[in-house]
Amino acid sequence: MVTTKSRTSAKAAKNSPDVSTRHLPAKTFVLDNGAYTMKAGYACDPSSSSEEALSNCVSIPNAIVKTRENRIFTGAQLATHVTDWNEAVFRRPVEKGYIVNWEAEREIWDQTFFEEKATARNKLLRIAHPEETTLILTEAPNNMPVLQRNTDEMVMEEWGFGGYVRCLGPTLNAWNEVNSLFGDPLTKSDSDILPKDCLLVVDSGYSHTTVTPVYKGQPLQRAIRRLDVGGKLLTNYLKEIVSMRQYNMVDETYIMNEVKEAVCFVSNDFKADMERTWKANRKREEAQSVVVDYVLPDPNAHKKGFMRPHDPLLHAKKKKGAQSGLSAEILSEDVLVLGNERFTVPELLFTPSDIGMQQAGIPDMILQSLSVLPPGLHAAFLANVLVVGGNSQIPGFMERLENDLRGIASSECVVRVRCAEDPFLSTWLGGSRFASNREEVGKLAITRQEYQEYGSGWAGRRFAGMI
Amino acid sequence: MFRVELLANSSSHATPGYTYVADRGFDPAKAAMAPALGRKRGIHNASKGGDISSRRANAIIRHLAELDRENQRDVQIPVPARPAKEAGARVSRTKTTSNVRRILVSQKTFRNHLDDEEAAIAAGGGGLSIPVGAAAIAPVIPTRVKAVVAAAAARRSSTPASTAAARKKRPSAVATTTATSTPTPAPSQTENTDAEAEEDSDERKHKLIKTEHDNDPLLRSYAPTLPSERIMDRLLAEPALSYNASRAGPPISTQLPRAFCCMCGYWGKIRCKSCHLRTCGLDCYKVHEDSRCGAFF
Repeated sequence: MVTTKSRTSAKAAKNSPDVSTRHLPAKTFVLDNGAYTMKAGYACDPSSSSEEALSNCVSIPNAIVKTRENRIFTGAQLATHVTDWNEAVFRRPVEKGYIVNWEAEREIWDQTFFEEKATARNKLLRIAHPEETTLILTEAPNNMPVLQRNTDEMVMEEWGFGGYVRCLGPTLNAWNEVNSLFGDPLTKSDSDILPKDCLLVVDSGYSHTTVTPVYKGQPLQRAIRRLDVGGKLLTNYLKEIVSMRQYNMVDETYIMNEVKEAVCFVSNDFKADMERTWKANRKREEAQSVVVDYVLPDPNAHKKGFMRPHDPLLHAKKKKGAQSGLSAEILSEDVLVLGNERFTVPELLFTPSDIGMQQAGIPDMILQSLSVLPPGLHAAFLANVLVVGGNSQIPGFMERLENDLRGIASSECVVRVRCAEDPFLSTWLGGSRFASNREEVGKLAITRQEYQEYGSGWAGRRFAGMI
Repeated sequence: MFRVELLANSSSHATPGYTYVADRGFDPAKAAMAPALGRKRGIHNASKGGDISSRRANAIIRHLAELDRENQRDVQIPVPARPAKEAGARVSRTKTTSNVRRILVSQKTFRNHLDDEEAAIAAGGGGLSIPVGAAAIAPVIPTRVKAVVAAAAARRSSTPASTAAARKKRPSAVATTTATSTPTPAPSQTENTDAEAEEDSDERKHKLIKTEHDNDPLLRSYAPTLPSERIMDRLLAEPALSYNASRAGPPISTQLPRAFCCMCGYWGKIRCKSCHLRTCGLDCYKVHEDSRCGAFF
């Protein structure tokens, strides 16, 4: 239905506008609108180094939070105003990686980017004149046309940006300087910034994990695959296990997320680690390397949670109470003992069947993605696998991915898996470098005049590459 | 005695005018995903160990939906009200259009949108609904190119028929990556590229150490060549897959799914006779039986 309509109307509205006459604002704002955090800032000129560029980028939580005192905080306030995270509940406008709820998203954007007053805090983020700014906005792959249309209409009609590019987040990583990461010779001159020819981007974020083969800065749509395991599912799974085995933590999403970030690791020898943490082996030496205690935060005493080595006798000592000679501080603290939970939780990224999910793990998914591409490209993509997103920070993740992929990939191919220098901001940085290539931006962008003339349907088709 | 059991499947039948979607007790709209189970799954999957009953499958779906939640409880968090002055400033800045108003009042969740899209696809609408398999690469290659490939294959018997001989010189940057990473395929690749590419690789050949085994047919590796620019253009121009079509498929390996103790997380060696959950040993089983065994499972 959509395709036939688009074809006819593409003929009607005689397409590609004359690039030379239109006005695309030179000032470019890059917004990587993730489900958990937004990464935003102005793109800087191409001559600056990546550190300089990153100093322009700010991460803002993309959520509205209600604390247990029923106070509501938005976006950047979370970092400064919220001290007690117990029983905090979240409202996230981005669901499954796509902007769904614009009521909440408008509130967060307005507060973060469109404050009336210029203050020291929002200096880097304030968009004073949207009509003189080009916006580069990322989206997750395989978005639905309805949601894309909503996004275009909001960006162009509510805020009225002068220029606008909506593109797949993972593809922007190809614009980064990744040759040095893979140890390849630097061939290009500094003057023109071009994307890498072949790059397989694994983006493991909050909502899901996607595999996107990027060819010369453009995605190969047929090969994009998604695993519905992301940081949120891992946190919820850890929360569920801990609630069943130890304390009831079902309302403590934020705290369990911190526990996950502190203790979880990806096992490179699952069976051996499992034996080490078996309860009968707990008291032996080797178990000590895996089992840890996590002391839960105490907001009343303004104490943060932390991890420490497991003390098998602590429980017995506590029972004795004051006689044991422990300080009142230790007696009052709540401790989670984490053994196999530490590695069975991130294991879901590699073996989703552990919770009955009928999906392949990340290495398998990479091969599934490549299987629909011409075999000539396999070697080039397998040799250039770039991992971005928060889950790549779990210790052991990169080693496990490289080992597993090496094991199942064809032995004739070289497998190189690298983590981006800053896996959180890598996409934003790529967008910033992309912005400095005016010619390429001009090919993808639409201007305000064009939008007003042709409307959102046209904009959607243009971003889909049909015009 | 008849016993009606509603199987967990995600298929919906589209008839002109309306859509039939199976209604299973709990809200399937909230389920994260449905495992694809056929009607005769017991027979087909017996050898693969996929011995999950529909109850078990539904329990998994419910569990996954549970893990997908943002908050444990359903809570309504209103957007904080702004001071009137600021709100006024916003209104004065831009006039709210009807589109914006419609989007802002929409209370649709992701699941609603997804159902809409699935219904549209089932009715023959846009988006690619079927994941493309490895064999489906064929339609992408235009017939004329195919003929060229066939001719090339006939001319040079050493070329694997499945690869499209690159008519144009390969992009040099890609060539360097493959050459530096896989030095062995380079000689064989030079055989089926054009003359100018041959010159290019001749220079590279001089740098490699020559031995008498270079032409040994047993040592030759047949690396497929890069697809032509035309094929790449066709691939890049393809529309995006739909949300459901881009989900990763079931794993290729035929290993049995691992089972874990539902109490302590160790290997699940024994199965509860009434609820089929696994435990690792008698210690955990006793706790399970006493406190948690939901026998009506």
